Amino acid sequence: MKCPRAAYWGAAMLLLASGALALYGQPDIERKWQYLAGEYGVRLDDRSVYIDPAELLSLMQDDYIRLLIVDVRPEPDWNLFRLRYAERIPIEELPQHRARIAGLPANAVVVVVSNGEALSTRAWKHLMVLAKPNAYILEGGLNHWLDVYHQRKEQPRESDRSQELEGDGEPLRHTFKLALGDRHRTSFPDPHHVNPRQYEPKVKLIKKVVKKGGCG
Amino acid sequence: MMAPWDLVAILGDAGAWAVYLAIGFAFGFVLESSGFGDGRKLAGQFYLTDLAVLKVMFTAIVVCMILLFWSTALGWLDYDDVWVNPTYLWPGVLGGLIMGVGFILGGYCPGTSLVSMATLKVDGAFFVAGVATGVFLFGETVSGFSDFWYSTDYGRLTLPEWLGLETGVVVFLVTCLALLMFWGATRLRRALHGDGS
Amino acid sequence: MNGRTRRGYWNPYVGGVLLGILLFVTFFVTGHGLGSSGGVNRVVVAVEDLVVPEHVDRTPYLAEMAGGERNPLDHWIVWQVAGILLGGFASGMLRGRVRVETYRGPRITSRTRWFMAFAGGILMGYGARMARGCTSGQALSGGAVLSAGSWAFMLAVFAGGYAMAWFVRRLWQEG
Repeated sequence: MKCPRAAYWGAAMLLLASGALALYGQPDIERKWQYLAGEYGVRLDDRSVYIDPAELLSLMQDDYIRLLIVDVRPEPDWNLFRLRYAERIPIEELPQHRARIAGLPANAVVVVVSNGEALSTRAWKHLMVLAKPNAYILEGGLNHWLDVYHQRKEQPRESDRSQELEGDGEPLRHTFKLALGDRHRTSFPDPHHVNPRQYEPKVKLIKKVVKKGGCG
Repeated sequence: MMAPWDLVAILGDAGAWAVYLAIGFAFGFVLESSGFGDGRKLAGQFYLTDLAVLKVMFTAIVVCMILLFWSTALGWLDYDDVWVNPTYLWPGVLGGLIMGVGFILGGYCPGTSLVSMATLKVDGAFFVAGVATGVFLFGETVSGFSDFWYSTDYGRLTLPEWLGLETGVVVFLVTCLALLMFWGATRLRRALHGDGS
Repeated sequence: MNGRTRRGYWNPYVGGVLLGILLFVTFFVTGHGLGSSGGVNRVVVAVEDLVVPEHVDRTPYLAEMAGGERNPLDHWIVWQVAGILLGGFASGMLRGRVRVETYRGPRITSRTRWFMAFAGGILMGYGARMARGCTSGQALSGGAVLSAGSWAFMLAVFAGGYAMAWFVRRLWQEG
């Protein structure tokens, strides 16, 4: 073959490029969020993905919406109280559900819940990196949900604000005598027995792009 | 915004079609310019007289692969949104074997036969007619073995996942493999057929 | 440096680099790769849909592409295949390679070549659908994105070709 020197240079460049790639590595979730933060971070800053408990309740009643409630809390809290039809997926396990979430239909809405907002917000970022679903975060978390819907005799414990702001692991402020899980009345409040709340609806259905890849 | 993009949303139907037409145009142009409209050149790969098929195919794969994964590393492209052919292992292998036989009998593959037909080669045209016939026959017979055709579905399985290695490492190994093949095949060709072109 | 081989074809490494860049751009802009057999497939199904639409509706494999109101030609690959024809033609025109002729091995007649090309094409078409792609869609595109099935497919294609090569050498080789 004529001019093999150019071929050797080319081969060297390919080896160098691929070797450097092996060292630099593919982005992990945290790094990928850095890349996507510009686009999706706005939604966190302007609170457009934080939905009111009343909006979540209306989604739970809506037969036309395929609702997926992702509860990212630890198991003890999950056992104490959770929303009806919620699914518990700890943050570390989100990658395993990637394909399923990415394959949700166009009428699907994902709502991430935790006790407060810190853990659910982190999980939301991971979800967006992994699968970019039509996902929202429950504003104020389950603590706020219970504030709104839980009819109880005693007042809830005074919240320890510093604990809530400190990253993940905010505690469940409300106490329960029995670990009823999702069999609690407040797990799916009867809409006829709650005071109607005013809220700003934020959930929108997005048009699903069908990827027509492959050789026909 | 991170690639890949939704062309129809950005450019509309006609715009997207124009892009695909342009891509196909470039594809056909490069194939013809490399001589892949000639079945004899393609068949030569299997007698080690002409290694163009090996060189073009694997150079293209390596170059694209490196560009693709560097883009993902730098955050320009999202590999998770890229179409990775789902792995149906046995149908793929069986289909591949059949295609290998078809390749050496007919001297083309579907893409190159289109290029050959486009330059008015009669053998290319017959090949394309054959492909159409084969495709038709498949449509008529597949219901008879659809269980097999849908079997061994591993979904979106990538080599790194299968080998349990980091993506970057696999890219590097594939590059080394390709370069090794070029070197080895060239030596083999020279040994068998002497120094030609 | 003369990068051309005899007959004025590009140096295969050059062609490979250009093809690799094209493939990358395609992935970047569209999210998927190239393809060929799918386009031929859809044209065939479109014709079938014109002639025997009820049959198309009743066969699941065909109905997926053309059942009911679906237009099998409404798919990117059809446009891409049209482009391949145009691009191949343009390149051929530029180098004066557009001529009605038959490329064949020196030991066989044109008739034999046509028959073999047709037979090879049938196998190619059938195998391509079996494998859900051909060398453009599966080997090239699937290989670049490291699909395990595509690499297995590639291996099988080369294995099949090399295994058969000796038996059909009369088609291609000199005496």
